[in-house]
Amino acid sequence: MTFSYLGGLRLNLRFILVFAYNYGLKFIKRGPSYLIASLALPLSLLFLIFIISGGKLLPYAIIGGVLSIVTSNAINGAADAAFFRLQIRFQDLFVASPLTKMDYMAALTASYFVFSLPGIVLYVALGFIFHILNLLKLIVLIIVIILITLSFTNLAFIIAGLLRHIRNVWGITAILSIIATVLTPTFYPYFIIPRDFLLILLISPITPASIFLQGYFGLAPYEPISIPILIIETIALMILGNIFIRWRE
Amino acid sequence: MISVNDLKKRYGNIHALKGVTLDIDDKVTSIIGRNGAGKTTFIRILSTQLKPTSGSVKINDLDINKDVQKIRKIILSIPQEAQPVGIMTPLEHLELYLLARGYSLSDARKEGRYALEELEMRDFENVPCDELSGGMKRKVFVAMALASRVEIVFLDEPTTGLDPLSRMEVWNSIRKLDSNIILTTHYMEEASELSDKVVVFSEGKVVSRGTVDELLEPFKDKVRVEKTDGEEYDVKIGKLSIKYVPKHMAQEYLSRGYDVKNITLDDLFISRGITLES
Ligand SMILES: Nc1ncnc2c1ncn2[C@@H]1O[C@H](COP(=O)(O)OP(=O)(O)OP(=O)(O)O)[C@@H](O)[C@H]1O
Ligand SMILES: [Mg+2]
Repeated sequence: MTFSYLGGLRLNLRFILVFAYNYGLKFIKRGPSYLIASLALPLSLLFLIFIISGGKLLPYAIIGGVLSIVTSNAINGAADAAFFRLQIRFQDLFVASPLTKMDYMAALTASYFVFSLPGIVLYVALGFIFHILNLLKLIVLIIVIILITLSFTNLAFIIAGLLRHIRNVWGITAILSIIATVLTPTFYPYFIIPRDFLLILLISPITPASIFLQGYFGLAPYEPISIPILIIETIALMILGNIFIRWRE
Repeated sequence: MISVNDLKKRYGNIHALKGVTLDIDDKVTSIIGRNGAGKTTFIRILSTQLKPTSGSVKINDLDINKDVQKIRKIILSIPQEAQPVGIMTPLEHLELYLLARGYSLSDARKEGRYALEELEMRDFENVPCDELSGGMKRKVFVAMALASRVEIVFLDEPTTGLDPLSRMEVWNSIRKLDSNIILTTHYMEEASELSDKVVVFSEGKVVSRGTVDELLEPFKDKVRVEKTDGEEYDVKIGKLSIKYVPKHMAQEYLSRGYDVKNITLDDLFISRGITLES
């Protein structure tokens, strides 16, 4: 029984990877309609933005699209996490086992990431086709994607932990997805909205992520302050997710 | 060996457990009691899913509050209403569960297959669980218990909602476990069939415990006679008059239009004027 070490933290990597494979990948294979549904909104917006701006705002639609896919899949994870905790009691099964809370959360996070992969690949391909991405930019983009996945899956754990019934979870995730991806400057330049409003939108980690990426990709003024904001928000959400998941009640 | 001392649990104003003191050291112990008696709360505290409000629990001398991680290595708990994940197959469930317990991938697969074989589920090992019958779904969890070879297995209502035949299949699976088992049930037949000891919970307290024979001692050589609006009764449930009479008087009551029933564990509850909903 060997475990792997990751930054001093003892994680059951085998479990995490097999969970991501069994749950994330098989979900794509056995229930593909959901995957298509998750791509529908960003692809429609891509099409609209392309038509309306005559191709000028396409880079926003591509960067925004990839962020929105990752974000909405992670937020929708709340439905899974709540379903596992409240409905099929999958979480309890693992609580009463040697698996740690960290392993379980990492496994769910990894499976949402796997679920986002087809979308990420599609958008990265578009990014290369339209000369928005190069290798370095791709690496930076992936780091941001990982931070966003961590932020929003932990938000999902918080929602799942707070709920006492599963009935509201789909409504809540749908609303949050829209707020997080459409309202925030995900698909449009961050500098066109009033500064005060932007400050409010900074609550959602996708805002600093977009500000950073739009700057880094040369689409808008570069605001390095967005990096620490994104990192701090991610860490804060991870701490809260850890508390609210309700491992041992 | 589990030893529980003055265990209490409160949810806000609800006192779910009001001081339970109990030693459990039999191979199979059944906990019976009406809806809301506190069975699930009890199981969830013992299997480290829920913190008690007060009192102490020791499992093999390990403390439920201090030695949580050690206890988790020797127990397994199948929650009430647990369902497998629809898109995953039985074998995938077993692999994942055994990996969670620290098995290597090849051991997890080997032990998983072995357990499914034991429970005669090999033919279904690659069928997504949402295509399995209710009994098969339950057996996926029993297979986890079988494959894990842990010391103590908790099963919260393992056969609720199953048809009689599936129930018997699950019983046979449960009988194959080497572990000590603590299960809750609403089926008196299940408690009699499977367990060495029965513990009766009522309103957050243990009201009696013993072997089935010991518990039914007060009913020895008696039968239950019942009739709608009968003139004689010990207890009345709705319109039904119920009376406990010596066996040799059964014929007489039969001729007066009473139904005559053999004593089962149900009578522990019926004799107090309550029935077990299931
Ligand atoms: N999370 C909770 N919050 C508040 N009250 C709860 C909670 N869980 C259980 N209760 C209450 O505690 C009491 C005991 O519940 P418990 O689920 O332990 O009973 P049970 O014997 O398992 O019942 P059943 O046979 O219906 O499964 C009930 O009154 C129940 O309503
Ligand atoms: Mg219960």
